[in-house]
Amino acid sequence: MPERILLIEDDQELGSQIVESLKKAGFEPTWWRTGRHVEAQQLPGLVLIILDLMLPQTYGLDILKELRSTGAEVPVLVLSARNDTADKVRALKLGADDYMTKPFWPEELVERVRARVRRPAMQRGDALEIGKLRIDLASRGVSVEGGAIELTRVEFDLLAALARRPGVAVTRGWLVEHVLDPDREGNERTLDVHVSRLRKKLGAGVRVETVWGIGYRLGTEAP
Amino acid sequence: MKLRFLGGLRSRLVIVTILVTVPMVVLLMWLDGRARHRAAAYALSDGITRRLQHPEERTRCEASPSTWGRPRPHGRPRPADVPDGPPRPRPRPPPPMFPMGAPPVSYAYDEHLVSANPAAPLLTAADRRKLDESSMAVLDRPWYGDDVDVLVRTPWGSGPCSFVLVHGTTTPGFIGALLPASPIWLLPLAAVLLAILIAVGPMVARIRRLTAAVQRSAAHGFSGRIPADGHDEVAELARAFDAASREVQAQLAAKDQREKTLREFLSNTTHDVMIPLTVLHAHLTTLREAHASGRAPDPLILTAAMDEAHYIGALLHNLAIAAKLDAGAPGMIKGPVDLNALVTRVVSRHAPIARQRAIALEHAIPEKALATEADVTMLEQAVSNVLYNAIRHNRTGGHVALILEPRSQTRFRVRVIDDGPGIPPEQLDRVAQRGERGHAARTRAPDGQGLGLDIAHRVASLHGHKLKFAESEYGGLEVEIEGDQIDPSSLRKDSITSA
Ligand SMILES: Nc1ncnc2c1ncn2[C@@H]1O[C@H](COP(=O)(O)OP(=O)(O)OP(=O)(O)O)[C@@H](O)[C@H]1O
Ligand SMILES: [Mg+2]
Repeated sequence: MPERILLIEDDQELGSQIVESLKKAGFEPTWWRTGRHVEAQQLPGLVLIILDLMLPQTYGLDILKELRSTGAEVPVLVLSARNDTADKVRALKLGADDYMTKPFWPEELVERVRARVRRPAMQRGDALEIGKLRIDLASRGVSVEGGAIELTRVEFDLLAALARRPGVAVTRGWLVEHVLDPDREGNERTLDVHVSRLRKKLGAGVRVETVWGIGYRLGTEAP
Repeated sequence: MKLRFLGGLRSRLVIVTILVTVPMVVLLMWLDGRARHRAAAYALSDGITRRLQHPEERTRCEASPSTWGRPRPHGRPRPADVPDGPPRPRPRPPPPMFPMGAPPVSYAYDEHLVSANPAAPLLTAADRRKLDESSMAVLDRPWYGDDVDVLVRTPWGSGPCSFVLVHGTTTPGFIGALLPASPIWLLPLAAVLLAILIAVGPMVARIRRLTAAVQRSAAHGFSGRIPADGHDEVAELARAFDAASREVQAQLAAKDQREKTLREFLSNTTHDVMIPLTVLHAHLTTLREAHASGRAPDPLILTAAMDEAHYIGALLHNLAIAAKLDAGAPGMIKGPVDLNALVTRVVSRHAPIARQRAIALEHAIPEKALATEADVTMLEQAVSNVLYNAIRHNRTGGHVALILEPRSQTRFRVRVIDDGPGIPPEQLDRVAQRGERGHAARTRAPDGQGLGLDIAHRVASLHGHKLKFAESEYGGLEVEIEGDQIDPSSLRKDSITSA
């Protein structure tokens, strides 16, 4: 089922472009050209509201205030042409989840929308599942496509650290500090050695990517 | 004009004086009238009592009750006074009991208070009742009149002369009996009025001069001084006006300065934005020409056009922040800032343009949110400028990484690393030590004096952040912003609401 997004934006041109980008990104946008209160029966199925702050007749924040006063928890992304701290603080106080300052590229908008709508990583109890990879945190067992893989303690901790936030880069520094054995002399070179060993063990089905200038990341897209 | 007259200080004083003195004069006159009535009544009753004690008086009265009691002309005995017998030597007349008043007239009344004398005033039952209590009564007469009537029961109390009414007058006063005898009382009143006028006259004149001075000053934008001489209230008022006008002058000057800054800002902004906008026009024209001649659009031009559009956006944000910074620290609104979210926003702002330029933009944020106390717009713009520099001054195919991490338990740091051309070591110090610049250099400066780093510097110093520049391990530039963390629990929505 496509995810419904309510866009409240008075500008014709900008509104239709946002609607286009959202459609291309696989969302189902509803566009209101004028500001009015969001009724309770419109909320089901709504994953996000994109709200322009400067609407004719209504003040965007009033809509937000009204919405939050009814207890609705749908995320709200506020759009503003004014890069103004007071506006932002007010919007957050009234229950906005995020704000975006104009101008922005369509890609930026889509990325921000995705970040808001994105569901938390699949984690059932002590098990993490990322693509073909399965990690049991309690028993420290790892399998790729069902096949169990033997890992050293450091390798397992390394993989678990990356798998907790798949697709997100983790710095070498953090990994050296938190994953390598504190009793043994460890530096970034040691870490790189562990990573290349881990890669070999996991095979091509799981991608431990090197991130330029930062460290490593567990790839989320299938190779 | 009439209102002006009524509202004038002088006429108001006169009115107030009259309002205060007239009731006082009336009161005094009332007291005076009463006193004179009492004195006259006392003298009359005294005189008649003495006269009636004379045994002959009864005979005389009863002999002709209709004429008895008429005043005797002085010096010559009246016929009624000597009805029979040769004229006897009269006792010396008593000293005049009614100084300056008309001589008293007496009227005789019988037991029923009916007089044989046709000139006798009619007596009422009320007058009669007064006599029940004593042998003598002073009849009610208005205090402002000069009539005084005393009714007496004769010692014998029977016959046609049972009662005697003596009519007299009070001592005559100024305008009859109405005003006190001596017009001397007018003197203090006139003196008071005169004193008021003399005291108020120069005051009124000075107030008028002050009014004129204030009006003149106001007409010239409060630029002139308002003269204040003397030490009284009027001088104080003048000094207050002078202080107020100087305050107004200062405020006007400040406003003018602000307006000038704003005008300068607008013209600088216009100038700064027009250049990239013109470049953008050129790129778009090239693209359209390519399209018209059936060629595929040059992706380099396309990228450059997008770049320019992106640059205009960044520039406008920078100019807005610069205006706020120029206005001073009050333009800052500090609050808890979610650094993870800030870094993510900055990256997603520039990611599209980095992609266009084939520059790999990576970022890292810690698993646990980091927070700091800052003006979110300013800090975000500072980080954004540093990141945008790393992208914009980089080469195609280059790399940029933005890393947010805790520096210690209480400090955070944001690092931007690139593998672009970097800044030569001899220029690094200059970039790192730059302080505030004037408005004039608000342009894209090929000599390395841009607006972006200037804002980063100023924001850092306003927030107490350390801003460090170094050569990155990849040959490019590494910029670090380091500052204090705060407890990230202050970022929670409920705590923001209660803050
Ligand atoms: N990451 C970088 N790599 C190479 N040179 C840089 C880098 N960052 C800054 N510079 C140099 O420092 C100069 C000053 O940067 P700054 O951001 O202040 O101005 P700008 O980028 O030229 O213009 P703008 O005001 O639009 O940002 C730049 O012009 C550039 O020469
Ligand atoms: Mg710059």
